[in-house]
Amino acid sequence: MNFAFSEEQEELRRAVRRFLDEKAPMTEVRRLMETDEGYDPAVWKQMAEQLGLQSLAIPEEYGGAGFSYVELIVVLEEMGRSLLCAPYYSTVALAANALMTSGDDAAKKDLLPGIASGETIATLAITEDSGRWDLDGITCSATRSGEGWVIDGQKMFVLDGASADLILVVAKTPGGISLFSVDADAKGLSRTRLATMDQTRKQARIDLSATPARLIGNEGQAASGITKTLDLAAVALAAEQVGGAQRCLDMSVEYAKTRIQFGRPIGSFQAIKHKCADMLLEVESAKSAAYYAGWTAAEDSDELPVVAALAKSYCSEAYFHAAAENIQIHGGIGFTWEHDAHLYFKRAKSSELFLGDPSYHRELLAQRIGL
Amino acid sequence: MCVKQIPDPAAPAALDPSTRNLVRDGKLIMDESDLYGVEMGLQLIDAAGGGEVTLVSMAPNGETNGLRNALAMGAAKAVLVSDPALAGSDALGTAKVLAAAIRRGPFDLVLAATESTDGYTGTMPVQLAELLGVPSVTFAKKVTVDGASLKVDRQTEAGYDEVACPLPAVVTVTAGVVEPRFPSFKGIMAAKSKPLETLSIADLGLDAASVGGAGAREEVVDVQQAEARQAGQLVTDEGDAHEKVIAFLEDLKLI
Repeated sequence: MNFAFSEEQEELRRAVRRFLDEKAPMTEVRRLMETDEGYDPAVWKQMAEQLGLQSLAIPEEYGGAGFSYVELIVVLEEMGRSLLCAPYYSTVALAANALMTSGDDAAKKDLLPGIASGETIATLAITEDSGRWDLDGITCSATRSGEGWVIDGQKMFVLDGASADLILVVAKTPGGISLFSVDADAKGLSRTRLATMDQTRKQARIDLSATPARLIGNEGQAASGITKTLDLAAVALAAEQVGGAQRCLDMSVEYAKTRIQFGRPIGSFQAIKHKCADMLLEVESAKSAAYYAGWTAAEDSDELPVVAALAKSYCSEAYFHAAAENIQIHGGIGFTWEHDAHLYFKRAKSSELFLGDPSYHRELLAQRIGL
Repeated sequence: MCVKQIPDPAAPAALDPSTRNLVRDGKLIMDESDLYGVEMGLQLIDAAGGGEVTLVSMAPNGETNGLRNALAMGAAKAVLVSDPALAGSDALGTAKVLAAAIRRGPFDLVLAATESTDGYTGTMPVQLAELLGVPSVTFAKKVTVDGASLKVDRQTEAGYDEVACPLPAVVTVTAGVVEPRFPSFKGIMAAKSKPLETLSIADLGLDAASVGGAGAREEVVDVQQAEARQAGQLVTDEGDAHEKVIAFLEDLKLI
């Protein structure tokens, strides 16, 4: 096992960072978060055509570049750092993973190439009004209709649900938990944008009424694939959280060095120093957890379920703490709309809750290590 | 494409106290102004439907770090000339070395940046053209190949000139005229296994006395601190600041 990123992975990081600095700076984040679509199609296209980010971890036989989750977390970390407004997480971390763990080769051949090329924006709809992330909370139901299936029910907090072309829906059938794909323009499907505190990440409610759907995988046997998808998505989110937390720490340290109060930089005061030191400790620990989780995902290790729950719970708290302390260290200016601190604070909060909060993931962790 | 590998401009630069030349012993990176030429070359290949971009570079200590970026973008191979005897080269010495390296094989077009970010002489490309015995066109903002001739939109203060010349030629590409592509991870991985040849001056059949510090005809005789910026003029805004700013700019004949 190699604990360090390779030179090529570091070069990927530099390329992605340069791309995001140029194409998705904070001015763009602020512009896009006010729009309904929430992303820039030109940037999305360049991500796909030049950097090949959408295809990065998709196997070559399905139109991807065939690299691993380790490369993917490098990219996600940079996206978290820049608060990129784009349906990347929903398309790649949620939908592509759901397809890849579905065991349905025909569906993978049909749907993954579009994701890899950047043509398809996709998402995964799991949770409902209850806000539950475990599969026992699913009430949406699918029934056979002629050759195919139709779905009835409602999905909530669907990331990029309003801009996605392809929506993967988890629903109950007589056989149990099943996965379906639904076209965004399918009959009986309506989508409503949700007002989100974190404007950089769009969500939607999706209502399905006798909406035609394609069964992915075998009926009633999607639970293990979806559970694994949620673990992979948790690892991906942890990587984003690490990027955001590191950015908050960098902003704090920079400000603590330059902001003069009582004739000296505020970083020389113990109260500020201690905050920064605590943030550093947590950010570094979060990195260790997220990188290790990325490695278990890349290796398809048995440890993934345990490490994913650990990384998601720890990185959520580290990011939220860093984002909150960043505001404190910045003092008055940190509370203003013009300063970026609140954007990180809100992303930290939405990421903390998405896929389940830290207590939920610690409970998962406890169960998975047999406590 | 001539690629210069330079000390990171973000890091503080140092001058050798005896030669007053820039210290280049640390890690070098690709000069950002070369990205535009690499992109231009790749676009010309795409338009022509064939051919390849070869990188040519001269750098100390066998440095290849900066070449890898351009290989990841899509250049096919690289030639690096690295020799301790090349320390202290001036622009002409560099042109001699690059000309010798370029002459080793057939070429259609030599691209370079208009000037490097660390040296700024801007003279090397035209010297290179002279040594290769081919025409040179500077400050290109657009380049198209039409059979055996080249059409260049050459940037001027007032706009641009349309220049045509036969191939082969040396063309310098103005920074910012094309958007350099971002490499994919596939490209980054492929760059590792692309051919990268390292040559000494003996390999090029050059005499050590004619290049490097020994052959340099340029010498840095003195280095002075840049003049400190004068204090500006403070305008207190009492509702008429914009008028004062306009008057100030009009005085300078800027508006």
